[in-house]
Amino acid sequence: MKAFARRMIGIDRRIIFLLIAAATLLPLLQPFGLPIKVSPEVKAVYDHIEKLPERSVFLISFDFDPSSKPELEPQAVALLRHAFRKNLRVIGMTHWLTGTGLADGVFSTAAAEYGKVRGKDFVFLGWSPGGGALIIAMGQDLYTAFPSDYSKTPTRDMPVLEGVRNLRDVNYMISLAAGSSGIEMWYVFGKDKYRFEMAGGATGVIAPGLYPFLRSGQINGLIGGLQGAAEYETLIGQKGTAVAGMDAQSATHMVIIVLVILCNVFYFTLRGEKGRPA
Amino acid sequence: MPEYLLPSGTLLGAWAAAGLTLFIYSFLYKDNPLFKLGEHLYVGISVGYTVVLTWHTVFLRLLWEPLAKSVGEAPASPGSYLLLIPAALGLLMLARFIPKIAWLSRIAFAFVVGFGSGVAIPRVVSSYILKQIEDTVNPLLVRMDGGLSLGLDLAAPQSGINTVILLIGVVSVLFYFFFSVEHTGAGMVTARTGIYFLMIAFGAAFGYTVMSRMSLLIGRFRDLITFSGAAYGYATPILLGVTIVTLALWEMAVRRRAGP
Repeated sequence: MKAFARRMIGIDRRIIFLLIAAATLLPLLQPFGLPIKVSPEVKAVYDHIEKLPERSVFLISFDFDPSSKPELEPQAVALLRHAFRKNLRVIGMTHWLTGTGLADGVFSTAAAEYGKVRGKDFVFLGWSPGGGALIIAMGQDLYTAFPSDYSKTPTRDMPVLEGVRNLRDVNYMISLAAGSSGIEMWYVFGKDKYRFEMAGGATGVIAPGLYPFLRSGQINGLIGGLQGAAEYETLIGQKGTAVAGMDAQSATHMVIIVLVILCNVFYFTLRGEKGRPA
Repeated sequence: MPEYLLPSGTLLGAWAAAGLTLFIYSFLYKDNPLFKLGEHLYVGISVGYTVVLTWHTVFLRLLWEPLAKSVGEAPASPGSYLLLIPAALGLLMLARFIPKIAWLSRIAFAFVVGFGSGVAIPRVVSSYILKQIEDTVNPLLVRMDGGLSLGLDLAAPQSGINTVILLIGVVSVLFYFFFSVEHTGAGMVTARTGIYFLMIAFGAAFGYTVMSRMSLLIGRFRDLITFSGAAYGYATPILLGVTIVTLALWEMAVRRRAGP
């Protein structure tokens, strides 16, 4: 047993890479359809949007770039589908310069699915510098902060922004964030000051740090990672890329759990050997 | 071009995405020239994209166009030139590159630090400290239909049992980082409890991080599967073959250079 454990502890790490690759690839090629349980924090976002009256103003901030696309794009697509289906007026923007093109593409694709018109049913404002200062500027006057949208159309007379002067006129807001320039910044400089309801969508890496905000009611819902996106796709009844990826996600997690257990078994088997910690 | 192929722009994008993904993943074998090519392209394109967008969004849209418009409409009004003040402050930042006048950049930095602190400190204190303290100090008993009750539902965030766990967690973790008292006796038990709470938090964070990284892998694999179809000109299998052959040739060249 000790000889086997010794060999396994020193295994070429590329074998582990291959195992993970196989565990990811096989379920993508041949899904086995594990059930998806919807968590209360994701349901809260869905319920809030569901209760909004038609033509309410829904602000979605794409605070991520292509490096977080696999996790946050499915969230964005599911949220936009839900908002367009509910006939909400959707305002999009980003705090991440390198995510501008990606966000505009997601917007255009989702809007085309529902026949929504740019400027009338939705607007993508694009990126502007400032972070927190930009949010404060939007809270004072949206048109000073964004005189024109991403396609350089002046924002002031857009039908989609009719009756919207600043952030106080936003009915619901969600930030899809891959870092600190996202949910927390929106809460600190936006919601706390201008009193609109907001939620967050986050990558798995930053999601645990946002639970204190959820618990305290500072955000009313949280969509975490690909799992959260899959839950939202299930709620709106339009299964997309997130649901398709969940089998692979579960399979890789299973492989990692087994590897962690095996490593611990081998570690304890070899404990006390010369050159190893007791 | 065969009819089943997608438009050339989409094809080019798919081939570039598939190729660069494979080049970057080739690092899992070992550091190699294909990985370096992908890495350098990523850095270069990111910087180029950022510079172009910043020029168009910040300089042209937020400075040049409004300034030209206001000066054109009322050239005699001093208000038309207001945007020159932030422009001048921005230029002062660049003074750091010229040692003789580098001190001028302090004016701009003083403005940024002063404005940033003034705006951020009250808001951060309110959001991160006061609101969180407010949520930590919850009533132990909650009003239910049948009167006051200590909620025992672990799934309900505001239940009494969760309030107790939260209280123990906050106090013990704070005590663990309180180094003015020696951690012995009851202090050691409290600090130990704090460590357990920290371990659980780190474990949860690590679990989420694993999920996140696997999601990125799934995203890339999904694209690679999509690009392996006939509509994309079998980009993935062809480029996978090219990557493997290149790595094999490179490996042989390295071994030959190293000698017997």
